[in-house]
Amino acid sequence: MESTSAPTVPQMAIVLTEDSTDKLLPFATLVSGAVAMGMRVDVFASYWGLMAFRARPAGASVRIAPGHGDDGARLETALKGKGAPSWRSILEMARSLGDLHIYACSQSMEILGLRKDDLDPLVEGVTGIATFVDRTRDARVAYFV
Amino acid sequence: MVVDARGSWCPGPLMELVRVIQEEPVGTEFELWSSDEGSRNDVPLWLEKAGHELLGMTREEGYDRYTIRKKHG
Repeated sequence: MESTSAPTVPQMAIVLTEDSTDKLLPFATLVSGAVAMGMRVDVFASYWGLMAFRARPAGASVRIAPGHGDDGARLETALKGKGAPSWRSILEMARSLGDLHIYACSQSMEILGLRKDDLDPLVEGVTGIATFVDRTRDARVAYFV
Repeated sequence: MVVDARGSWCPGPLMELVRVIQEEPVGTEFELWSSDEGSRNDVPLWLEKAGHELLGMTREEGYDRYTIRKKHG
C-alpha cells in the first residue's frame, strides 16, 4: 500500500457530510483561512457533502437547512443578495492560493451512483477512508462538518 | 494602487490581500480597503505570518484603510 510521508507544513483535515449553504459557507471560510495561514487542508467529501460537488451549471443555488424559522429566511435572503460570497468561489480561490485537496468518498460514490465525471473539478480524486486517514494522520486539527 | 474590498464579507478582504501579494512584484505598496471588522485582526496577523509589512491603518467612516508593502517573493 502506498503511504504518504509526513507533511512538512501544519495540516488540517475536514470530513464534510452536509450540503446546505449555511454549512458550506462556514466550511469554505474555514478552509480559506487555514490555507491563507499556510496550512495544508485535506477534505473528505462524503454523502451530502459529496453531493454538494456534483457538477452543476454556474451559480450554485442557496439552500438553508430547515428548522431555523424566520432567521433561516433572513439568512437565505442575505445570501441571495448582491455581493454575497459563494462557497464554491471561496474554495476555488483557496485552491488557487494554497495547498487544498478535496477527495470524494468512494463509498458515497457507489451508493449514490456517481462517477468522477459527475463531480466538480475541484474534487481531485476518489479515495477510500483508509487512504484519507493515512494522508491526514499527522493533521493538527480535524473537523467534522 | 487601491484594492477595494469594501462590502465583501470575511474571508473576502483577506483573500484579496493574499491574491494581490502573490501577483504583484516585491516592493509594491498598496492600500486595502475593508469594511469587515474581522480584518482588523486578520490582516495584521496574516501580514506578520507571511512576512510582509503593514505600513499603516486608518479608520474611515464605515471601513478601514490598510497600507501594505510586499517585502519578498
